[in-house]
Amino acid sequence: MKQINCIYIVDDDPITVFGIKKMLGMVTDCNDIHTYENGKTALDSIIQRIKNGAQLPEVIFLDINMPIMDGWEFLAEFLNIETKEQIRINIISSSIDSADYEKWERYKQSTTHFIDYKEKPIFRIEPKDISLVNLAS
Amino acid sequence: MKNTKSYTNNYLIKQLPTAIAFLNSDFELVQVSDKWIEDFEFNDKNIIGNTVFELFDNVGENWRKALEECLLGHHRSGQKSFVDSDFNERWFKWANVPWYDEDENIIGIIVRTEDITKKVEADMNFNKLESLVRAKSEIAKVGIWDYDIATNRLTWCNIAKTIYEVPADHEPTIDKTVAFYKNGYSRNTISMLVHNAMEHGSSFKRRMEIITHKGNPKWVMVAGKPIVTDNVITGLIGTVQDIDEQVQSELKTKENEKLLHILVNNLPLNVFVKDKDSRKVLVNKSECEHLGVNDPSEVIGKTDFDFYEKAVAQISRDEDIQVIKTLKPIIGKETISIRKDRKSTTFLTSKIPLLDTDGNAYGIIGLSMDITGLKEKENQLRDLINVTAIQNKKLINFAHIVSHDLRSHSANFSMLLNFLKEETDRDEKKRILGMLNRSSENLMVTLEDLNEVVDINTNVNLEKKPVNLNQLLKKILQNLQICFQDSQAKIINTIADDITVLSVPSYLESILLNLMSNAIKYRHPDRIPEIILSAKPEKEHTIFSIEDNGLGIDLKKYGEKLFGMYKTFHKHKDSRGIGLYITKNQIEAMGGNIFACSELNKGSTFKVYFKNETD
Repeated sequence: MKQINCIYIVDDDPITVFGIKKMLGMVTDCNDIHTYENGKTALDSIIQRIKNGAQLPEVIFLDINMPIMDGWEFLAEFLNIETKEQIRINIISSSIDSADYEKWERYKQSTTHFIDYKEKPIFRIEPKDISLVNLAS
Repeated sequence: MKNTKSYTNNYLIKQLPTAIAFLNSDFELVQVSDKWIEDFEFNDKNIIGNTVFELFDNVGENWRKALEECLLGHHRSGQKSFVDSDFNERWFKWANVPWYDEDENIIGIIVRTEDITKKVEADMNFNKLESLVRAKSEIAKVGIWDYDIATNRLTWCNIAKTIYEVPADHEPTIDKTVAFYKNGYSRNTISMLVHNAMEHGSSFKRRMEIITHKGNPKWVMVAGKPIVTDNVITGLIGTVQDIDEQVQSELKTKENEKLLHILVNNLPLNVFVKDKDSRKVLVNKSECEHLGVNDPSEVIGKTDFDFYEKAVAQISRDEDIQVIKTLKPIIGKETISIRKDRKSTTFLTSKIPLLDTDGNAYGIIGLSMDITGLKEKENQLRDLINVTAIQNKKLINFAHIVSHDLRSHSANFSMLLNFLKEETDRDEKKRILGMLNRSSENLMVTLEDLNEVVDINTNVNLEKKPVNLNQLLKKILQNLQICFQDSQAKIINTIADDITVLSVPSYLESILLNLMSNAIKYRHPDRIPEIILSAKPEKEHTIFSIEDNGLGIDLKKYGEKLFGMYKTFHKHKDSRGIGLYITKNQIEAMGGNIFACSELNKGSTFKVYFKNETD
């Protein structure tokens, strides 16, 4: 089992959240999993953590289509924040719009964080999906 | 006695009105008339007793001989010239006769002279004039004819004969001459003119066509006038002139002019010629019509400033100057001309410099094609393309939404089914099944939403009818009664009772219900909702407006997405992000528009434009 301290799930669909949590349970015994219904609440939480000097989540599962602040808007804001840690962000989307792929490519190039893109449905989360180790490869 | 007699004779001779001189046999002047003295300018000289050879330097042998012969009894006469004191040549006619005494002895010569200088000069002038006239008539191809009524004799000069191309021995008559004139107008005219001249004494000058003796058609100018003697018309005299070359070239020029005129006037172009100062020199029919005048004379000499708006005229003037200065034509430039009555026309204009023989421009020739109609069609086409592009974008957007939504549901299904397959725990299985159930319900809702959107976009020809706004609002408020009671919302309705909007009733109800419930749904938690309803009929639209004091939206951030599908901006349990999307679709399906203005934490205003007329 992989040891991970903190994971964020940002998605407004309770079923997807349920699925991700269930799949995570099979690869890690992380006790600190937080879920947010949209980008805004997730971002506010991260800003709060930085203010408090608390540890940032190591992995973020991010949906694209969400009310109030969607996944891309969240990314745009988040990548502007200076962090000490490298964070892995897994974008989970059912979009097959090529514009979304292009956005992902762009964000991926512009940051030191690791951003992955996964199309729904997902059936399994592998240990490599929640680690930064394979960054180099 | 002899003295007395001689004195008497002297005195008598002196007064004779003719120039006369008596010479004795030695050619000495014995007696002389004053007229003789005057003619030969001897006024102050005592000439009696001098010989004529002493008096005249240059008498000449012939005259001396004639004088000598006269003493022998021969009469002699002749003409002679001499140069007077003013160096003018003067001509004299002279006659010498022997002078007899009572016994019939020749005692001298009587010399009689007559100054004929004037007559000689007149003769010379006449000869000169005559040859001049002949030369002139030959050069100008003017023939002369002459008709005598009494003898019924018509004479032609040689030139006239050349004109009619008759042989030199041709003997013209009036009838034969008339027959040379081309049958029809020319022959009738000449007959009438000659008749009138002889009967009424009227002169004539007319251009007519003849067929010459050799059969060549020819234009001539014939003139004639009566000769009147003692109030009786005795004949006619006149001229005939060959003007064929002039007339032919004139006709040719006229023909060319006519051709050009027809061409220029019937071109489907506005044609204009302007001078250096941009004054119009020539305009065609199309240009006249465009300028709203009936005749080119109303345009000639005027400039564009007389017909167009000042700014437009200045642009045109600048173009003219540019062409005249650079000698480079402007070809096919799109220009807009606005007449003083504000009528706007779009032209494709060309301006070409007019060059004189030195290569300098003295004006321009302009050709303008009215492309207003084309332009309108182009704009219509562009509008159509825009509409199509928007529709297309909407469709793609919709396709993405559909695929995304269906994919996300199906993804959930397969994920949950996968869990279910591998799950052994009964409770967990039950939980997954519950989720599958919810997922299926969500899918149904999504399908219903999509169906509604498709319905709106396919039923473009739904019948619109006038719906009274207040009556409908009353009904909606009843439906929303519970919401309003819960929120204690205050509604201020300023809409007049007689205002109606042209709409599909079911759409209108859905639109108003959605906007009203949004106003309550997104109320501000710190204040009682206040909703102001108003409606304003305008020329083309009736504008319905709903203003709230709710949460408001940051339009800078979300303006583009406000009416998008599945976009929500506030956390609310009933927010599905479909309401405004459907509302906008319904409004647009009826040919209307919806706009929003909003300020975060202050409130929002939605304005709906309903078209007043059906297309």
